[in-house]
Amino acid sequence: MRPLTLRRLLIHCAILAAILFGVIVIALKMGAVPVSLYGLGRALVRMALGQASDLSSEYKLIIFDIRLPRIILGIFVGASLAVAGTSFQALLRNPLADPYVLGVSSGAAVGAIVALIIEPHLALSPAVAALFTPLGAFLGALLTIAAVYLLGRREGQIDSTTLLLAGVISASFLSAIIMFFMTTLKGGDTRGFAFWMMGDLSTPLQDSLHWVLRVGFFAAAGAIYTTAADLNLLLAGEKEAMHLGVDVRRIQLVVYIAASLLTGLAVSVSGAIGYIGLLVPHVMRLIFGSDHRLLLPTAAFGGAIAVVIADTLARTIFAPSELPVGAISAIAGAPLFIYLLRRKLT
Amino acid sequence: MKTVVRARWKMTALLLLPAIFFLAASASAQSTSTPPPVSSVPLFREVVDETGRGVRIPQPVRRIVSLAPSLTETIYALGLQEYLVGDTDYCDYPPEAQKKTKVGGTTNPSIEEIVALKPDVVLVTAINRMETVRALEGLGISTYGTDPQTVNDILTSTEKLADVLGASEAGASLAAELRIRLADLQHHLEGVSPRRVLFVVWTEPLISIGKKTFISDALRRAGAVSIVESGQDWPQMSLEEVVHQQPEFLVFAASHAESAPNDFDAIATKPGWRSLEAVKNRHFIVISDAVNRPAPRIISAIEDLAHQLHPEAFAEKPQNLKDAPKKSDPLPLLDNATSFLIEPIAEPHIQIDQQECACVL
Amino acid sequence: MSTAPRSAPISSRPPGDSARANNEVRLSVEQVSYAYSPNPSQAPLFTLEATSFQAHPGEIVAILGPNASGKSTLLKLIAGSLKPMSGRVLLEGFETHTLSPRTRAQRLAMVQQESPLLFPSRAWEFVLQGRHAYGRSLRFAGEDDVIIARNALAQVGAENLSDRWMDQISGGEKQRVILARALAQQPLLLLLDEPTLHLDIGAQVDLLDALRRLAAGNRYTVVVVTHELNLAAEYADQVALMQRGRCLRVGPPATVYQRELLEQVFQTPLTVELGSSGRPRVNVLAGSGS
Repeated sequence: MRPLTLRRLLIHCAILAAILFGVIVIALKMGAVPVSLYGLGRALVRMALGQASDLSSEYKLIIFDIRLPRIILGIFVGASLAVAGTSFQALLRNPLADPYVLGVSSGAAVGAIVALIIEPHLALSPAVAALFTPLGAFLGALLTIAAVYLLGRREGQIDSTTLLLAGVISASFLSAIIMFFMTTLKGGDTRGFAFWMMGDLSTPLQDSLHWVLRVGFFAAAGAIYTTAADLNLLLAGEKEAMHLGVDVRRIQLVVYIAASLLTGLAVSVSGAIGYIGLLVPHVMRLIFGSDHRLLLPTAAFGGAIAVVIADTLARTIFAPSELPVGAISAIAGAPLFIYLLRRKLT
Repeated sequence: MKTVVRARWKMTALLLLPAIFFLAASASAQSTSTPPPVSSVPLFREVVDETGRGVRIPQPVRRIVSLAPSLTETIYALGLQEYLVGDTDYCDYPPEAQKKTKVGGTTNPSIEEIVALKPDVVLVTAINRMETVRALEGLGISTYGTDPQTVNDILTSTEKLADVLGASEAGASLAAELRIRLADLQHHLEGVSPRRVLFVVWTEPLISIGKKTFISDALRRAGAVSIVESGQDWPQMSLEEVVHQQPEFLVFAASHAESAPNDFDAIATKPGWRSLEAVKNRHFIVISDAVNRPAPRIISAIEDLAHQLHPEAFAEKPQNLKDAPKKSDPLPLLDNATSFLIEPIAEPHIQIDQQECACVL
Repeated sequence: MSTAPRSAPISSRPPGDSARANNEVRLSVEQVSYAYSPNPSQAPLFTLEATSFQAHPGEIVAILGPNASGKSTLLKLIAGSLKPMSGRVLLEGFETHTLSPRTRAQRLAMVQQESPLLFPSRAWEFVLQGRHAYGRSLRFAGEDDVIIARNALAQVGAENLSDRWMDQISGGEKQRVILARALAQQPLLLLLDEPTLHLDIGAQVDLLDALRRLAAGNRYTVVVVTHELNLAAEYADQVALMQRGRCLRVGPPATVYQRELLEQVFQTPLTVELGSSGRPRVNVLAGSGS
């Protein structure tokens, strides 16, 4: 009998954090413009010591103003999606659940496309204009969260099957609306939007949005983590969990809202990157088991690592052209999914 | 219980540490983003670009990055190609443009590459994304946007661009010359009733161009009128509607005219298309894909189309554009530019019923 | 908040003896009734008429009846997961329905047909889930939790299953582990819904023997829903006989197992005789269509 201890949890997290750090360093080095590892290391050390860097200003610009923010964006988006995916798989008791199954990403897409369409008709200051599309996306996500919740209740509280149905139906309905709107977009916007729908980290984010994303992640993921032990029991069944002392109604509400918010935040800033929310929880479960007290933090790290790797590939494989990061995660994700499926069946 | 409490605090603290680390690291990353001036020359010029944005352009302009094929062509037409340090993968005309450093596609160029080229100004147009512009501006790189909606706009846009890039004389001269050619064309087409055409962008699904596009305007200048009434840029047409309208000609824009007859034959056998009069009579016209780009070369495409649609209106002029004399060069700088414009792009291909021809003459 | 682990003496009491002498009433079911209609305007689909009985520590109560007699509904009312339309269920003076899920899980434990596990766990992990109601926040298992879980497995004779995966053990073994989890909750009241359903005879007897032992040794009150006539007669101290939402009779097996009553409820000819253990025995007669 070896129950999970705090010590084991922290050790695993530390190992994954170290791996993430290594991935960050490699990602910083790689890009359309090559940077030597030595020069990079020196610059990082100097930055840590507070000294001025001796890299040329272009390289400094590239590394610290382009690559590093993008990598950090990828970390938070990946962590958000993985935690949301893990939560939805527990909440819906369905291993095929991913963050988008309840329609949040479709709602965000509708919000984004509406923002794209009406933006030229409004006289916005450049600062607001830059925020307009992500804000529209987030608003779309919020409305979808509320609608699916109201539709997904049975006798006043969340029922996982009804919720899943409500989410799937909302998702397809919203997708149809998106198709309709896309025909009204101007040419350049259509291409840009298609990029967004596949998941795209290449657009640098306003500082304010960066903060919202980070704070939102820690708040929502933290809220979910407090229910980690309850989620373990919830997997056995709602009735069983209730009889074991879980306040099922409260837990479902907290997890639903927090996981949906994580998804909404991630999708609003980067479009719908696929397969991360679905596969990272499964891979982590294979390695670490399905105890959510360990699974949630490791999934967060795993999602961050996966997205940073995928994004690095997306911007270096066909350099200087960039692929949308969702394309890489899909190409890598599908075979991995098949492999996991076969493993489970044997 | 004390062990539990201590453990909980340890855990919270240890989980907070990486959070603090990340926040601090990214905060310090953000704080270095005060945009450094890209060139050390302190001279700037404030202009307003065609999207209404105020842009500060370092003077003189010595390093240009173009993010659209039409802009690349325009730069060559203005004779400024030695200042062009980077363009997109799609910038293929003139052929020398393909040798320039590539920065990626038009929707997804690599910001890093652009930054590494240290441009004085980056040129964008309607096919580029606002996000790219914002990203570049956030890094302190000036971005100038053009957005011509009509053929006239293309000319004034070229003039303005030339002015912004410090080559106003070249721009004025080029625009004047193009205007003369357009006026000449107008003169020839006076009194000639325009042909009703369908400009085919894509066959499956059938996509044409809307009436607010510069392509539609170009068709008008060539003595044609598009049967498409839609206000969308690239409306998808229903074949039924097209059959109902029965355009006189189908117009295709192709980079290689040789394959056009084969492509047309392939379409001609499809149901629906077969019912079009234009298909039955093999009334199809192929012009250069220059018509798709809002650049000076579009004038040649317009002339080409006019010649193919209304050969009778040009009967007294030489049929083959190759024999047309080169215009005199007002400035040596324009040597490359003018010869570039007069190259024929596509073999005229048209078959007209002999009877119809006789009627017109 | 965690209480000291209970000792686990394996003492057995003489059958049929309920030792009520110096016991207070632990479970009091007072005139509980229930009605369920999916649509407020429709007539209720199912009703449970007012039912009452009482149970003491160390007692086994069997809720007996054919299908759709309201047994499971009554059990859910006792468990507090359904709110009675009228009447109340008191466990040590507290209405079960009004307790918070956490407190309720510390006082009563339910053993029922389990939904298949999505991500299977090991038996010890499973049993540790029973300690959930006693923990805080992330609930890392403490030493006492581990001891209690181990004890619970021992009490049902399943220590050897501790490291096995839940999806790789037999039905009977699984049932024992589920019971161990319920014991780990250290409840006052044990509720079981048709626990013998998928078990073979040997496993059935083992389970009920264990229940009797635990009820006597740890002073649990046990309420079992079943339709097994003879098992109920053999092991229960009290039987509540249900038919179509009505409780026809409550009492020791001898008073409830009357031939006419049972034939009416179970709609099949049978005979009742006194068994070798001093408890009634029911013989179901093969239908001859007379």
